[in-house]
Amino acid sequence: MVTLSFPRTYKLIHIAALGALLVVGVGAPTIARAAAPAACAELQAKYPDWKGKTLVNAINPHTPGYESIDPKDPNKYVGFDIDLGEQIGECLGFKLTYKAVTFAALLTTLSSGQADIVISDIYATEERAKAADFITYSKVFDGVLVAKGNPKKITGINTSMCGAAAAENTGYVEVPLIQALVGECKKEGKAEPTIQLYDNNANCIQAILAGRADTYVNDVNTVDNAVKAYPDKLEKAIAVTIPYKVGIAVPKDKPAFRDAVKAALTEIYKSGDQLALLKKWNLDPENLIEPGLLMVK
Amino acid sequence: MELFLHYLTMPYMIEGIQATLQVTALGLLGGLVLGVILAWMQLSRFKALASFARVYTVIFRGTPLILQMVFAYNALPQIGIKLPAILAAGLALACNEAPFIAEMLRSGVLGVDRGQVLAGQALGMTPGVLMRRIIAPQAIRSMIPAFGNETVSALKNSSLASVIAVQELTLRSTQMASATFDFFSIFFASGLIYLFLTAAIAGIQLFLEWLFDLDRASRQIKLLRLMPWYRAQGLDDRSAAAGDAPPEILPDAGVAELPPPRALSERVDRAKRSEILKRNNVAVDVAALRKSYDKQMVLAGVDLTVRIGEVIALLGPSGSGKSTLLRCINNLELWNEGSIKVGGRRLGFSDRGKALSPRLLAQARAEVGVGMVFQQFNLFGHLTAKENIAGPLRWVHGVSRIDADRRAAELLGRVGLSHRADALPRHLSGGQQQRVAIARAIAPNPSVLLLDEPTSALDPELVNEVLEVIRRLAVEDGLTMIISTHQLRFASEVADRVVLLADGAIVEEGPADEVLSNPRNPVAQRFLNAMEAEVA
Repeated sequence: MVTLSFPRTYKLIHIAALGALLVVGVGAPTIARAAAPAACAELQAKYPDWKGKTLVNAINPHTPGYESIDPKDPNKYVGFDIDLGEQIGECLGFKLTYKAVTFAALLTTLSSGQADIVISDIYATEERAKAADFITYSKVFDGVLVAKGNPKKITGINTSMCGAAAAENTGYVEVPLIQALVGECKKEGKAEPTIQLYDNNANCIQAILAGRADTYVNDVNTVDNAVKAYPDKLEKAIAVTIPYKVGIAVPKDKPAFRDAVKAALTEIYKSGDQLALLKKWNLDPENLIEPGLLMVK
Repeated sequence: MELFLHYLTMPYMIEGIQATLQVTALGLLGGLVLGVILAWMQLSRFKALASFARVYTVIFRGTPLILQMVFAYNALPQIGIKLPAILAAGLALACNEAPFIAEMLRSGVLGVDRGQVLAGQALGMTPGVLMRRIIAPQAIRSMIPAFGNETVSALKNSSLASVIAVQELTLRSTQMASATFDFFSIFFASGLIYLFLTAAIAGIQLFLEWLFDLDRASRQIKLLRLMPWYRAQGLDDRSAAAGDAPPEILPDAGVAELPPPRALSERVDRAKRSEILKRNNVAVDVAALRKSYDKQMVLAGVDLTVRIGEVIALLGPSGSGKSTLLRCINNLELWNEGSIKVGGRRLGFSDRGKALSPRLLAQARAEVGVGMVFQQFNLFGHLTAKENIAGPLRWVHGVSRIDADRRAAELLGRVGLSHRADALPRHLSGGQQQRVAIARAIAPNPSVLLLDEPTSALDPELVNEVLEVIRRLAVEDGLTMIISTHQLRFASEVADRVVLLADGAIVEEGPADEVLSNPRNPVAQRFLNAMEAEVA
């Protein structure tokens, strides 16, 4: 049929036009949403300030399962964090648009007012809590990614990493944990571990594939996804627990917003929607915790 | 391969190009505006502006673009300026490009032949006219390649906007790589897209170079020029580019090109002429003129009175101050002491004795009417012979196009160059160029014509045609002229008075035949002997 060739032609014209034109404004990704718990109506009455608003969620969309673009429709962001944020928004009556930044820029984007909230698999640490308030919502399990066969015999964040090169994202909590090994390695007379800092997961994984780094320690789900993508070249050495919780970051100078988000998250937790989301994204239900707060002066 | 094509044609990636182009365009246009301001400040006569521009350049050229991006995006909101990401990236890129573009502009402007600027000033062009008509058109031509480079580098630098969440090509590529793990197909695709874009820029650059090429001649060459191998072979060299184009320099037929002389060829009785001239009004009055560069004295108290219709030959060894004296008379140079009046008016100063701004000075020059002919011709390189004459008439004196063209045609006829009216200076012989320069200088009917060694840069066989033109101006037009020259015979024939300058002072002065045949001052004697020995 003749008409079948039209979409392709249209696409070419479209491409040409886009290349030639300078049009301001990039469409915001849109996300499917789940039903809000009944108690949300009360919350909207209690916290009316954000009803009907559109807020900006800063994310580092390089963590498939939590937040990444949808390869089938790259104008959408998908993942557990994305769905969770949408549910909080639905509960409090606001919509979210997304701002993709590097991991290290997440909190500066928030504190400079370029974003209203950060829901991006960020671990709530005391250090980070100096820059933002955190509403915690998940436990942390890390995986240790290594090349197939684990040639350096790495067994966790311990002296087995002495002399190894670890790829990490700038600003990740694993960085200080690995740095802390320097002293122990010296004590045992071994070489220090080195750290290579990158901007996103893809680069860290590539560093192992290219033989530049020996290991990459990050959220276990991310590690599992990497192994799934390169089963012949990568493997997970071990899963380790890290003494942190994952948190939603909100500005320190907006306590009412913090309380509203926490209240909404608590309703989502209680209703079982949060557990359902973990299952939907193939995440370990063990991650589930009741929402808490991490704040420092 | 299939994946590669998939990402190459993916609308998500193509839309990323949009943001890339937006940031690049903002950076370039903003950089151009800022760059023009910076270059203007750097070239300004005001020290404070120049140093401000220098400080700006040091800061923005000396810090990485990635920091400037983060600053524009995250620090500006702290003082209440919250720009959308694309604008913040565009701003940072513009601020970063500005010093580089300013340097390009500055070197383009400074690269324009200094002599042409001097000639423009002598013709009474204000700094604005000079910039718009003479400097900018030539500077722009020379800046196109540099601007092409700058555009390519801005396009590539726009990828740094990925750190501040601008959804441009690089950021979209990394996001896609993170989501799909198809690292290499994605980055090959985005690399190829960048190549397409930079190739397009190179194409635009070549087109502009072709468009602004003064020598653009035959249609074949036009097409050939667009081909990379044509450029690589350096076929733009004069010899090879000829083909069916006319030869670049037509033979100069010398004096034979001039129309037959209009006036009587026999000389008037010198004594009688001298009597008449003495009764004429004073055209130029130089009194106790002193000038020094640093501690080097160039003019050590020169007094000179020139009457209307008089022809003065200024003789003297190199470095004796001849050129400096002429430039002072036209106010192209400042002096330390003394005064100069042209037509009874103190050029360069207001009625109250205050120094004029360059713009007002230019206007005064045009009003008083001092024409100048330079040793190096100093024709405007981008204008035809006719435009060299007609242009200044329109821009400085407000003559209509028709009248200016008519005047140019008439003068070209007088200097025997009607057949080369549309030739560019570079396609004319030195003698022809100097004849055009003389026509240009007398076009606005100046009250005085200053000629600074008009034949010194010419090959010997071209000297006569120029001297003949000057001779006719003296005989046929009775034009007041001061000529610095080494041509003794010409001086004795044409000049009413010879003034001999040595070490910045007049050592001998008087009727041409007297001074030249019988100098009294020993310095003058030595100089004239040496000159005659050289001629013989």
